[in-house]
Amino acid sequence: MRRAIPVLQIDLGSERPAYEQIVSGLRSLMVTGQFAPGDRLPPVRQLAIDLGVHHNTVAESYRVLEQEGWLDLNRGRGATVRDRPRRKPSAAAKQELAKRLEELAAKAIADGVPRASIAELLKALAERLVRS
Amino acid sequence: MERMPLILFCVLLILIGAAEAAIIWKLPHWERPGLFFSVTVSPEFRRSDEGRSILRRYRILAMVLIAIGWALVAAGGVPRRWPLLVLGVTWLGFGPLIAFQIARERVMPHAAKPALVREALLAPRAAHLPGGWLLQAGPFAILVAAAIYLRAHWGQIPEIFPVHWGVDGQPNGWSARTPMGVYGPLIMGGAIVAGLSLITYAVLREARVIRIPGHPTSHGRDFPHQVGCFLSAMEYFLAIMLSCVAVMPLLGPPNIALVLIGSIALIVVVLAAAHHLNQVQACEIELSVFQTDTTIFGDGTLDEHWKMGLFYYNPDDPALLVEKRFGIGYTMNFARPVAWVVLALVAVIPVALAFAAVVRHG
Repeated sequence: MRRAIPVLQIDLGSERPAYEQIVSGLRSLMVTGQFAPGDRLPPVRQLAIDLGVHHNTVAESYRVLEQEGWLDLNRGRGATVRDRPRRKPSAAAKQELAKRLEELAAKAIADGVPRASIAELLKALAERLVRS
Repeated sequence: MERMPLILFCVLLILIGAAEAAIIWKLPHWERPGLFFSVTVSPEFRRSDEGRSILRRYRILAMVLIAIGWALVAAGGVPRRWPLLVLGVTWLGFGPLIAFQIARERVMPHAAKPALVREALLAPRAAHLPGGWLLQAGPFAILVAAAIYLRAHWGQIPEIFPVHWGVDGQPNGWSARTPMGVYGPLIMGGAIVAGLSLITYAVLREARVIRIPGHPTSHGRDFPHQVGCFLSAMEYFLAIMLSCVAVMPLLGPPNIALVLIGSIALIVVVLAAAHHLNQVQACEIELSVFQTDTTIFGDGTLDEHWKMGLFYYNPDDPALLVEKRFGIGYTMNFARPVAWVVLALVAVIPVALAFAAVVRHG
């Protein structure tokens, strides 16, 4: 069965910079297995046009993901998804994750999101991660 | 004067007038539901009393202005009243524009803030030119073949030959056997075809594909391909027509009746193509009826970047082509310098060439 083409969504009205949204959006899709190694991403210019952002924004996003080992950037072929080897978990990375989750939860509560809803969302995310 | 050409000419004028009126009448429906006279609005606004009133008044004003324009054209058809003809033709162009601007001013107080969510498919776009490079080279080959034919029969071209005929079938414009006079139509054709080829390529590669956030089936990729096919067909038509014009000094004047019948057929074909493109786009527009309580999605652009509601100017947008807000197809982002190059190729250079030929040799 043909795999659906993944979709990236960003909010240009958000406080988060567009490039950060692109990086985390693409990373999230790769982590959850929606891309296979060898899949080609759209060229920088095409993605910039469809998202309505400057090409440098997309180019920088692709560079960040290349440095993290997710993408191969080739001048002729564009960006291709790599078969990224699983990295050994580090205590520092886990601590960083815990800290950021707490900060995100605190901001969500400050914005009026009920604690129960936050817990539900985190639970659903955990289940998706375990399944993928 | 021959009766048949006069009858056909009158039929042609009536058909052109009816086609223009029908298009101007229908144009507000050729917008995404989140847009109304090129202003971002809630889709419900179009169905509201105020929205219907604005639409009704636009249509009445537009039809009245078009009728005035055609009356001027008809009055200008009498000999020595050509200023009325010029005024009439100008009126036919600007009249509907005035009606549109008045309607737009009425809608603007009801403008809504659009959502700034953008969605993109994460796969390279397969942007193949319709028929490949071989088919795209066809119009140029036709023009070159005509040029070769003319060169081979240069001595047989009259020193002075007619290039324009009145309704009575008598020539009223001439050109001379000079490179510009003979090859002018082909050069003009080459410039126009090159411009259209560039636009076709740009439509497939540079036009923004609008996806409605959260709607998985709004792929939006069929419409650019269909527009590309339409443009390619126009290239062939123009190349053949201008090649026929160029070789007329050797083959003699065309049969007026055939020219008029061909013109009528062309209008019918163009209207059918516009209807077909609208149907293709309508599949996408239906999906954009989607709207949450708090988000409005027009076409992904902001009202402030649409000058007079028709011309898109946004230096921060990398797209060269964006969907027209009012009408079918695409328009250029005039903040991109290449847009002016394309405009020069398709519009300015051919008009300048035609003007130079008429001024020199008419």
